[in-house]
Amino acid sequence: MATEKSDVVVLGGSAAGLTAAITAHRQYPEKSVVIIRKEAKVLIPCGIPYIFGTVGTPEKNLVPDAVLDKNKIKLIVGEAEKIDTENKTVKLAGGDEVVYEKLIVATGSLPAMPPIPGFDKENVWAIHKDVELLRGIQGKLKDVKDLVIVGGGFIGIEFADECKKAGVENVSIVELLPHCLMLAFDEEFAVEAEKVLIERGIKLVTGVKVLEFAGGKKVESVKLGNGEELKADAVIMGIGAVANVKMAKKSGLKLGPTGAIEVNRYLAASDPDVFACGDCAEKVSFFGGRSSPLKLASIAASEARIAGANLFGLRRENIGTIGVWGTAIGDFALSCAGLTESMAKEAGYDFVIGEAEGPNRHPGTMPGAENVKVKLTFERRTGVLLGAQMMGGSVVGELINVMSACIQKKMTIDDIAVFQIGTHPALTASPIAYQVVNAAEMAFMKTKK
Amino acid sequence: MAKILIIDDDPDLIDTYSIILTNNGYEVLSALNGEEGLVKIKNDKPDLIVLDVMMNTDYEGFEVARKIREDMKLLRLPIIMLSGIHEVKKVRYRFAPDETYLPVDIWLDKPVEPDVFLEIIRTALSDMPQQTG
Repeated sequence: MATEKSDVVVLGGSAAGLTAAITAHRQYPEKSVVIIRKEAKVLIPCGIPYIFGTVGTPEKNLVPDAVLDKNKIKLIVGEAEKIDTENKTVKLAGGDEVVYEKLIVATGSLPAMPPIPGFDKENVWAIHKDVELLRGIQGKLKDVKDLVIVGGGFIGIEFADECKKAGVENVSIVELLPHCLMLAFDEEFAVEAEKVLIERGIKLVTGVKVLEFAGGKKVESVKLGNGEELKADAVIMGIGAVANVKMAKKSGLKLGPTGAIEVNRYLAASDPDVFACGDCAEKVSFFGGRSSPLKLASIAASEARIAGANLFGLRRENIGTIGVWGTAIGDFALSCAGLTESMAKEAGYDFVIGEAEGPNRHPGTMPGAENVKVKLTFERRTGVLLGAQMMGGSVVGELINVMSACIQKKMTIDDIAVFQIGTHPALTASPIAYQVVNAAEMAFMKTKK
Repeated sequence: MAKILIIDDDPDLIDTYSIILTNNGYEVLSALNGEEGLVKIKNDKPDLIVLDVMMNTDYEGFEVARKIREDMKLLRLPIIMLSGIHEVKKVRYRFAPDETYLPVDIWLDKPVEPDVFLEIIRTALSDMPQQTG
């Protein structure tokens, strides 16, 4: 049994763990930093669906370990079994121990499995962030003719499109809500996304519950609440994720309302020398502060930059989860930040909407011109931006990040309308018809009604 | 006094949690399987259910939860699922409350420390004031 010591120990090596370790090194260069992670190789979480089509293999979707050396982070590949908070020691499987001064728990999440009858049949797959497992699924997928994906969120539609690209003949998505992507977008955006999915040969069955995975030992069909039965050689579950907290719970760390590790605004856990960030940590919404179930790698990385900075003195505060998303189906991209119109309505806001649409080049006959639609939601009385949705060309993937900054800084209709933008015919929309600015102007007009 | 029904095929677990709960002022009922549990829900009208998963069959608790919500229409009766299935079956995914597919309020992995268990019971009951006795 070996005992090691490090000033900072991080459990987990994915988006949260790696970013937290790098941040700890940058903020406290005099401190030693160790990452303990279970996986020999770490997958880029959001890249997992693309292994099956665009990227080709799990090995082409890995976080490079070179970044560890560059940031003087020591790596231990091993499984942390328990945190002894009293003696500030992490006990590893096999008996080794690592003593810490400060600890960051970033153990991520595990896929959620809804216990639909037949969920334990062969070829009903939950997607784990595990190279071997994904390689196994990829191998089996070669023999799959009929694939059913349960869940029409981001993961579901990305898997559907990539599996189609990989050559699966019949790909269906079953979604309980009236449309795919409805937890992130208003209906008109979701409907446009669905049109593109259908054009690309994906069958959509929405507003329907899955009743059973039928068959023998292996799944053969999926029985639906509308009486339909979809043939299925395989099923991919895209329902969501659950915080991976078994070890944290065993170690006596307090859990919060969603079953994740309880943290404060500085991402400190219930023990004074332990922090937690990423999918394994509780989140609150930027809007109103209620518990938030969102789990995204981008949120994890942001939290990691807070936790890493606060280890030896509270420097950064978590403002809560805004929720910034993006996806692409072929050349069609969608993105959103903050509250949609329907979310704002549900939360009880009095709001106005502003919309604008146009090409992202000027004139629209310039090469590379693509249509972009922008929808902004503002609080009526203060004019503060609550949310943004975009669809069209790939520019919406980055433009939404600008909108997230505007939300974070509580910018108003007027702030955005007088935005000092830089434009160029070959690069952007025209200064006169810049969609974000015009959407704010449209919202302003509605405040006068 | 709130009435709690524990549905679990492990009599030792029922005894242990019954002592903890009765010492803290709760009335405790128990059932050793889903069928017996459903009868007691109907007849004794408990305020909260603590429900195991692996009983006569591996997934009996999942069916019982669905029956409580869908067949008995007891949409607001709090259900705490208390199970060791993740550990026993060594599955790498996780079951979690889901309005449609796993209609319980809270999932707890066995074992649960008594003080944590009591706090969760208290919270679940206070979230449902109209259900408390």
